[in-house]
Amino acid sequence: MKLENVKILIGDDSILARKQLKDTIAASYDVTFVEAVNGQEAIDLYKAEKPDLVFLDIVMPVKDGITAVSEIMQADPSANIIMVSSVGTQSQLKMAIEAGAKDFIQKPLDAEQLKAVINARFEGR
Amino acid sequence: MYTQFFGNFLLSKGVISAEELVEAMKKKADVHLKLGTIAIHEGMLTASEVDNIVIMQTHEDKKFGELAIEHGYLTEEQVQVLLDNQKPDYLLLGQILIEDGKLTNSDFENLISDYQSQTEIFDLEADVSQHEMVHKLLADFCQFDDPKTTEHATEYLTLLFNNLIRFIGNDFTLLDPISCKEYPTNYCIAQHISGKIAIQAAMDMEPEAAISFASRYAHEAFTEFDEYVKASLEDFLNLHNGLFNVNMSNSRSIELSLCPPEAHSKDVLDFQKTSYIFPVIFPFGTIHFVLAF
Repeated sequence: MKLENVKILIGDDSILARKQLKDTIAASYDVTFVEAVNGQEAIDLYKAEKPDLVFLDIVMPVKDGITAVSEIMQADPSANIIMVSSVGTQSQLKMAIEAGAKDFIQKPLDAEQLKAVINARFEGR
Repeated sequence: MYTQFFGNFLLSKGVISAEELVEAMKKKADVHLKLGTIAIHEGMLTASEVDNIVIMQTHEDKKFGELAIEHGYLTEEQVQVLLDNQKPDYLLLGQILIEDGKLTNSDFENLISDYQSQTEIFDLEADVSQHEMVHKLLADFCQFDDPKTTEHATEYLTLLFNNLIRFIGNDFTLLDPISCKEYPTNYCIAQHISGKIAIQAAMDMEPEAAISFASRYAHEAFTEFDEYVKASLEDFLNLHNGLFNVNMSNSRSIELSLCPPEAHSKDVLDFQKTSYIFPVIFPFGTIHFVLAF
């Protein structure tokens, strides 16, 4: 799928996780990225940058990913947020979806799953 | 999984030193398992029969299997069975030590027998055996307050060793755990799991070992002890602990929380509960997992 003028926000405290996510997406799509290193920064950047898609980790310092989803959804109920985490327990998944996340990707990252999730978000666009 | 325990078994028997073990582990990737080693393990040939065939090979330019068939040690069918069967990985370690002159075929034959009777491994149903091996390791060296803690520790460590194999490589050996109340760090990542099960987990290593560990984990060729290397270590521990939480949630309906990982360098970790150091030797260095359950 060809994506044009798409901006993606990645919120993860790990520089490696952000790089791997960026590299995997950039291998298939020509998009621009903005990066946040904690939940609070992700909220602030979302409001400033209005990205088309957000990937958020759950376990982050300052403010965790689920709280960040809630606050982003309050600011923009149409936000497209995907959780990417190693902590894919049923309760975390439930909390993330209830907070407004659209999907959940369990780490370690699977490139095909990631592509399927991105394509599903931008289908018909 | 057997190689990881077999190395410790050889050390505990005083058969080899830690340095010799590390040297042998470094060679593993470049060495292929020989038919004679497999035949001893399977009990199809004795050590002295293997020695005889090896001597014959110095006089005749023939393969080990051909000579074994020609001289009536093995049938063609038996050779085929040896080639086709699944082989435990620890045989390669034994073979390298034989080739390096640290063991004879006869030593190896006796050690396999001892090892199998000590660990009661007779089949290759890996999952069951790994769990049992870890359980035995904990029972022998660690003291926990109740059986549930032992069971959670067993599950945690079994997953840890599986994740090391999955994300870093299977060329490691576990040494016996050591109890401690505090731990002086080199470069250390620590993370807390909280909830119904509380675990303080830390992994510590020298910067050089960290570069190799991170390179394997991230599939990158890191050369410096930089932020990517540090992030790789945090990622590994976070991923492992996250997967443990997922397993606990799925299999036991226990919901746990995870704090962000913290880095420590040249300081001392204090533990409220008795903690244990689990040394894991890779060819590139030793990783100390320090765990309080």
